[in-house]
Amino acid sequence: MIDINPDKLELDKEMDARGLDASPISLLEKIKREGRVWDDLSEQYGVDNPDPPWRIALECTCDALANGYMSPFNICKPVEEREPVNDKKIDAVERRWEEDKLVDEHYAEVPFPERQLLALAHSMIRRGLINEDELAEQMRVVDKRLHMADKD
Amino acid sequence: MAEKHKAAPMVDEISDFEVLEIAVRELAIEKGLFTAEDHQQWSEYMETVGPLPAARLVAKAWLDPEYKKLAVTDGVKASLEVGIDWIHDMPSHFGTPSDYCNLRVVADTPKLKHVVVCTLCSCYPRPILGQSPEWYRTPNYRRRIVRWPRQVLSEFGLVVPEDVEIRVEDSNQKSRFIVLPVRPEGTEGWTEDQLAEIVTRDCLIGVAVPKPGKTNVDKRPVHPAINPVGH
Amino acid sequence: MSKTHYDREHHIKKATNVGDPQCFRGEAGPAKFKVGDRVRVKDLPSLFYSRTMFYTRGAECTVAELVYESPPAEDEAWDNCENPEWFYSVIFKQKDLWPEYPDAYANDTLETELSERWLELV
Repeated sequence: MIDINPDKLELDKEMDARGLDASPISLLEKIKREGRVWDDLSEQYGVDNPDPPWRIALECTCDALANGYMSPFNICKPVEEREPVNDKKIDAVERRWEEDKLVDEHYAEVPFPERQLLALAHSMIRRGLINEDELAEQMRVVDKRLHMADKD
Repeated sequence: MAEKHKAAPMVDEISDFEVLEIAVRELAIEKGLFTAEDHQQWSEYMETVGPLPAARLVAKAWLDPEYKKLAVTDGVKASLEVGIDWIHDMPSHFGTPSDYCNLRVVADTPKLKHVVVCTLCSCYPRPILGQSPEWYRTPNYRRRIVRWPRQVLSEFGLVVPEDVEIRVEDSNQKSRFIVLPVRPEGTEGWTEDQLAEIVTRDCLIGVAVPKPGKTNVDKRPVHPAINPVGH
Repeated sequence: MSKTHYDREHHIKKATNVGDPQCFRGEAGPAKFKVGDRVRVKDLPSLFYSRTMFYTRGAECTVAELVYESPPAEDEAWDNCENPEWFYSVIFKQKDLWPEYPDAYANDTLETELSERWLELV
């Protein structure tokens, strides 16, 4: 395990210097407005599970993107020991930093874990891992698939 | 008893967030940032606690043809040898409507692959397999696996060859099911303990197959993606 | 209610230390179907409760195993254990359940359990 010394991090300085584009993303704004959060659904349907069924899948996506739990803290290492900075990797600490910032600016009204999901999608789009149009298209594909059993 | 038969409440509605989660994950997989199999392993790791008695049952059956015969004909009796007494261990000493006492062990062959679901609710062989994973209880899995099993299995990272028959077990009455997978190559000479380690929960439900090196006890599963992040 | 002393625990007493469905063994009488029989799932009305999935109704299948005897779910849901039936494990060709199932996977199957009242010989 890597020894994390917050005094040496200067995380804010570094992350600010990278300049995350925190401007709103219309697809995610729409989901924020129209999507039904688990707190409401579970109350309506009388379910007492505190977490939506997709919560663990979301955690796993974050872990898989961070390249595994044992190496997510690239930014916490001394500069000379780090892997080269690469926008195609979402280090867990970086993702959490961005999540805090994005929640603060856009998703403060959204409960957890829905806010984590919106922030992750936001980070991925801004880092160019996926783009907004293809995400919208994939959502249409998924939505259609999940409703395949409904037509008859 | 009758009132206990009522199905547990569930959220019978697919939210935009559920769709977004799947879409993000699938795009990441499509772009090769990680694989569906990586993701399946993470999820299994997070939801599984401790070694499974059912894994030991499978390992014993792989090593002992007589025990395998017993397992496929009388799952309840075979369970006794891995420390699970379906009848007396239950707090009620007879089973509850969600844990009836008829375990069926369904054996895969090189030409037959089983996968278990409960379309009506979420019946699961809890005494021998523990609590079911979240995804097993979702309408998404329950509605789709019976009708599009190959598509759903591929979402778990399991592609079943065309010449292998898929048999979906819809657990709807008093039997509960576990899958006895085919013993994989590369495990010749292994002990029961070694074999039990690679029989993970998802192998027992049937959405994954055992592989040497892929275990329940790995600290954290990290497997190479086609186009891994950070490289 | 005609039964003045209704025993709410009769099912529990019967099943304790024996198991359920084991406690109904021997109560269903001779089985109507045997392994290998081709049968069809009846499309009976299901008032109140049933565990016979709608997607199986009207489809043909093959008896794979006589699994146990038990009151059918339709009775047991109301605590009626008086008429146990044989339960059969039956196997459907996926193609017979879902007409659009791809021909390339014509061997794919689905197995489930149904009580005797739901089945008739083809």
